[in-house]
Amino acid sequence: MPVVLARVDDRLIHGQVTVGWSERLRPDRIVLASNEIAADPWQSRVYASSVPPAIAVSVVSVARAAAALRAPEAAHERTIVLTGTAAEMGDLAHLGAPLPGVNLGGMHFGAGKVEMLPFVFVDRRDLEALARLLAAGLALTAQQVPGGREYAVGAQQLAEMESRL
Amino acid sequence: MIRALVITHGNIGAELVRVTGLILGPVEGLAALSNSGKSLADLRAAIADWLAEGDAAGATGGIVFVDDYGGSCATAAQLACGHDPGRAILSGVNLAMLLGFLTWREGDGFEELVGRLVRKGREAITRVGGR
Repeated sequence: MPVVLARVDDRLIHGQVTVGWSERLRPDRIVLASNEIAADPWQSRVYASSVPPAIAVSVVSVARAAAALRAPEAAHERTIVLTGTAAEMGDLAHLGAPLPGVNLGGMHFGAGKVEMLPFVFVDRRDLEALARLLAAGLALTAQQVPGGREYAVGAQQLAEMESRL
Repeated sequence: MIRALVITHGNIGAELVRVTGLILGPVEGLAALSNSGKSLADLRAAIADWLAEGDAAGATGGIVFVDDYGGSCATAAQLACGHDPGRAILSGVNLAMLLGFLTWREGDGFEELVGRLVRKGREAITRVGGR
């Protein structure tokens, strides 16, 4: 069982992931895919230290994450994959990471972003990345926590957001 | 003066700070920040702004209290504080810790105060009855 959750969340490793989703999905490993954080050993340690000891953690570049997830050994680990942006998740998919779909868990407000949901704000770059994920055949759902409401995100929602930018 | 910032999920921190005022009267150098609606980057920037404000005002140290270890509040605090020896991040904030902070910060050195607050916070978690 490889990737059990692929999540876009700009808070990356935090309670919704390490407690909420991990209690539900029981991952063996959390993979944080970020070129910026992976390049900084101290930041990598800060994020990794937030993961409970029973769960392995990897903080790696997007390319290394994709390669690791494609490897045959990955099929034996239940894995949660996190990226901070939709663009990075798009890159992961483009590089062949076997993703079951993409969970939009936390894309907070920022300059130039419009609200899709109270926990999902998007700009043009996000929309392009999300469209790329849809085109790759991946289902997009917005859901913060297990048991919370799940929203399907499709081309219609993306077009509506595009018109509001 | 040593300043403190209480960073929490929701309004926990604001309420803790408000209640310290009800017990000790108006206080300076103690503020609250919520992570609600903020990305980690925005939360980190807000903490960095608060630290810089203290530095500019001549603060002799900055303590960041967070509600839980391993959450966005603690991660943002670590990233904002870096390796500065004049900062400390304490998780598991409770009312006893904040009252101790306000009571002891004038008399203690920074590291002495930090150690005392950790002990105070732990001592406050105890079974007081029910049997």
